[in-house]
Amino acid sequence: MSVTREEVLRIAQLAELDVAEDALPALTEQMSRILEYVAQLAQVPAGDSARPFLAGPDAIRPRPDEVKPWPLAFGPPELAPAFKDGFFVVPRLGAFDGGEAGK
Amino acid sequence: MTEAAEAEALTSAKAAADRLTKAKRLNALLTPLKDVRKSLLQQAAGAHPGGVLYGMPVAVKDNICTLEFTTSCGSKILEGYRSPFDATAITKLKAAGALIAGKTNCDEFAMGSSTEHSAYGRTLHPLDKTRVPGGSSGGSAALVAAGVVPAALGSETGGSVRQPASFCGIVGIKPTYARVSRYGLVAFGSSLDQIGVLGRSVHDAGRVLSAISGRDSKDATCEDRDPLRLPTVPESLQGFVIGVPREYFPADLDPGVRRACDRVIKVLRELGAVVREVSLPHTAFAVPCYYVIAPAEASSNLARYDGVRFGPRLGGQGADVRALYRATRGAGFGAEVRRRILVGTYVLSAGYYDAYYRKAQQVRALLAQDFRNVFDRGVDLLFTPTTPTPAFKAGEKLGDPVQMYLSDVFVCTANLTGLPAMSLPIGRVKGLPIGGQLIGKAFLEDEMLEAAYAMERAVPAVDEV
Repeated sequence: MSVTREEVLRIAQLAELDVAEDALPALTEQMSRILEYVAQLAQVPAGDSARPFLAGPDAIRPRPDEVKPWPLAFGPPELAPAFKDGFFVVPRLGAFDGGEAGK
Repeated sequence: MTEAAEAEALTSAKAAADRLTKAKRLNALLTPLKDVRKSLLQQAAGAHPGGVLYGMPVAVKDNICTLEFTTSCGSKILEGYRSPFDATAITKLKAAGALIAGKTNCDEFAMGSSTEHSAYGRTLHPLDKTRVPGGSSGGSAALVAAGVVPAALGSETGGSVRQPASFCGIVGIKPTYARVSRYGLVAFGSSLDQIGVLGRSVHDAGRVLSAISGRDSKDATCEDRDPLRLPTVPESLQGFVIGVPREYFPADLDPGVRRACDRVIKVLRELGAVVREVSLPHTAFAVPCYYVIAPAEASSNLARYDGVRFGPRLGGQGADVRALYRATRGAGFGAEVRRRILVGTYVLSAGYYDAYYRKAQQVRALLAQDFRNVFDRGVDLLFTPTTPTPAFKAGEKLGDPVQMYLSDVFVCTANLTGLPAMSLPIGRVKGLPIGGQLIGKAFLEDEMLEAAYAMERAVPAVDEV
């Protein structure tokens, strides 16, 4: 299954990832190669016959829903690139695809 | 603490600090040497006396969170990031008296098989600088193989401890999924990820694994179970039935790897084990299955790196918030990570989900069934080569990602099925180490280690085959 340059750009947009113009030809070729390789899975006559594989304990116990003291050695003001008055500071929320999401 | 014990810990810390210059030559350590030296001496002074790892320096892969050192995951997008907490595995190491000997180089976000995909340069193979040490835990493997530390933590999503262990001629263990807490392990593929251990011997790796294993209330995917108890070294392997899956010995297997494995099979029989050929018929589909599931999970897990909550902002300032995300992620992630995020986004997108992701989950179930079938027929352990070839040349596989992925063909099945597995050195070809792999039943690491102890004693690990 090959992908086109336009498909790579669309997927990159979904993944919130800038892709440089000069990197596109190689990326398109490599993605096509990977997708062609994994497409061999279609040869396996697999329905839902085998028991689904579940990683980890069969019954994962939910944690108790309780408020605990802040577990970190230091908080967001020291971690975040921009943090003020208890909020992460970001540029304004621009227009999303298909309409304005907020200003 | 007695004065003698304190002196011993200090001596161990000083010796480790002295050996660190080797790490620099190999580009295996990301923490500045002066910081590691200083920290080692401080830790030795405050180490937990009486702990089972008292005074033992343990290096840590750079995708496991530590308070002492930065945690960059080998990526520019987390350059300089300092975690506000220790991973549970680190807390347990400290409680056992171990000394954290810095953070090791790795493929960015553990995505790679050669440690060439680090934003901080490639790590060199300790025996041949033109070759790769394997990956993604290549820095940890190189440090142990070079004798800088007796053990190191790595992480496995698709063989990233066992493959570099094999390339570097040391022991590497991937525990059963849920045996070791993943709290503080930076997530890549959450249904696959496990912290593993690299060591210069089965005993060193085993006792570190024992120390970090066991329940953790901070990780709901960690089994509520006591820490692993190490077995004693057996006199023989009487009573063991060891399966040798024919699919792991293809016609194009490197002849040196085949010779080394044949020698091990002979030794296993001499030790009293019953060795039986078995079949895992879906093995050929493990790598394609892995390279759908792992990128799919990675595309979701890595969505959090956007320049807002942590890590640097790499462009997009002054524009809108999505431009900030895209610019930071585009500039912060390296080529391999970008590729996997895109493949993962693609296989999860509308119209392709059933053909790729759902199909891969079905194949994963068949792979798990293959192993159940073999173990249900009386087989205790499986023996296979760890990798199809010895360490390859740097740059050799960078142009073709699929060729790189195929170096994990024998190791990724244990991640897909959650089983414990380990690699140990079984000989050399033209001076390059060869690894043999044991795969065990879930949560029976003790049986696997028992066989490994016997193999380690009986198989000449550094002899040419």
